[in-house]
Amino acid sequence: MINVKVKCFSQVKYALGVDVLTFELDENTTSIDLEKIIRKKAGKKLNNVPLRIAINQKYQKEETILQDADEVVFIPPVQGG
Amino acid sequence: MIITPEVLNKQKNNFTIIDIRSEKERQKFPLLGLDTILFSDDESINVTKKKVLVCQYGIVTEGMIIEKKINNAFSLLGGAQAWVEYYNDNEDLSRWARQTVLPEIGIKGQKKLLNSQVSIIGMGGLGCPVAQSLVMAGIGKLKLIDDDFVSISNLHRQPLYSFDDVNKKKILAAKSKLKVLNPEVIIETVDIFFDNKNGEELLLKTDVIIDATDNIKSRQRIDQISKKLNIPTVYGALFRFEGQVAILNVNGSAGYKDLFPNLNTSVEDSCADAGVLGMLPAIIGNIQALEAIKLIVGINKNLIGKLLMYDGMNHTMEVIEL
Repeated sequence: MINVKVKCFSQVKYALGVDVLTFELDENTTSIDLEKIIRKKAGKKLNNVPLRIAINQKYQKEETILQDADEVVFIPPVQGG
Repeated sequence: MIITPEVLNKQKNNFTIIDIRSEKERQKFPLLGLDTILFSDDESINVTKKKVLVCQYGIVTEGMIIEKKINNAFSLLGGAQAWVEYYNDNEDLSRWARQTVLPEIGIKGQKKLLNSQVSIIGMGGLGCPVAQSLVMAGIGKLKLIDDDFVSISNLHRQPLYSFDDVNKKKILAAKSKLKVLNPEVIIETVDIFFDNKNGEELLLKTDVIIDATDNIKSRQRIDQISKKLNIPTVYGALFRFEGQVAILNVNGSAGYKDLFPNLNTSVEDSCADAGVLGMLPAIIGNIQALEAIKLIVGINKNLIGKLLMYDGMNHTMEVIEL
């Protein structure tokens, strides 16, 4: 098992109601798997929100296998100005 | 009291000019064109004639005059640094003395700012603080692009507008306020909605583009043109208590499309839908202005190829490498 921390910003934070979440996940869990878990947890609140992913402060263009102690940030587009 | 190099030059025969600097500084930056006496002890500043005290950057003498309660005394704004620049190039940059004293800016950096042009697209919550800070920092030319009118609901977060401006064009109200802040700034106002047809021509001579819009479609248009023209964009966006800032499209660095590929423009979270507290655009807009200044001056620590995410609720930040 691995432990992963998710820092929540913007729509993700408001959908989940928390700043930080920690997960105990199976080894070989990927960033896309974690996104599915987050979306399920948020109910319908993230249905129309596309999310990009950063792991350990690095933007991920592709699906990535998560490692123990990884810090994950989901990046939603925000448009207010 | 303070005196600028330009005023001192006109009235120098009316003053005793006292140089309080070390010999090393005096040799490195001589006060050419001024007859000075050296500061030796407190007696030397007790001459009855009006006097101007000069230090290297004009900060020490300002404090000294207050602390020692020196009568009839002026501190030279910007100190020897500003005088040398004025004497050599006939340019009085002393009003920016508190930023030219920063080694990262200096006179060279200030001149880059004065010779630069920045285009701001969107004169709302982000555009106002960006414009305000850039004008105050000495940007030479600003192009303000917006076709909107000031409304009462803007006033809590758009500090360039007041009740008297409601129903006026934002770009005109902004221009009049900005000219008060620095009468020498050149401001071009463009009263149109930025789109693919007009965008490229509008941004051709720009050094830096500020994306201060409030919708994804405009951000995508700006990104396309910024990438095509190879002109960097300082992107800023807001969501409730949060904001994002990035410098995009610098010689092939990541753009908005790389950050959010295949983005549907119907994603809705504009300020009108999601709400925003007035301080947030001020914070995010000022970070955008800071990044624009660093970009123009050439300061390497910046947000090129990085996305800053700021949460104003608990003051956390993430800087993500793109």
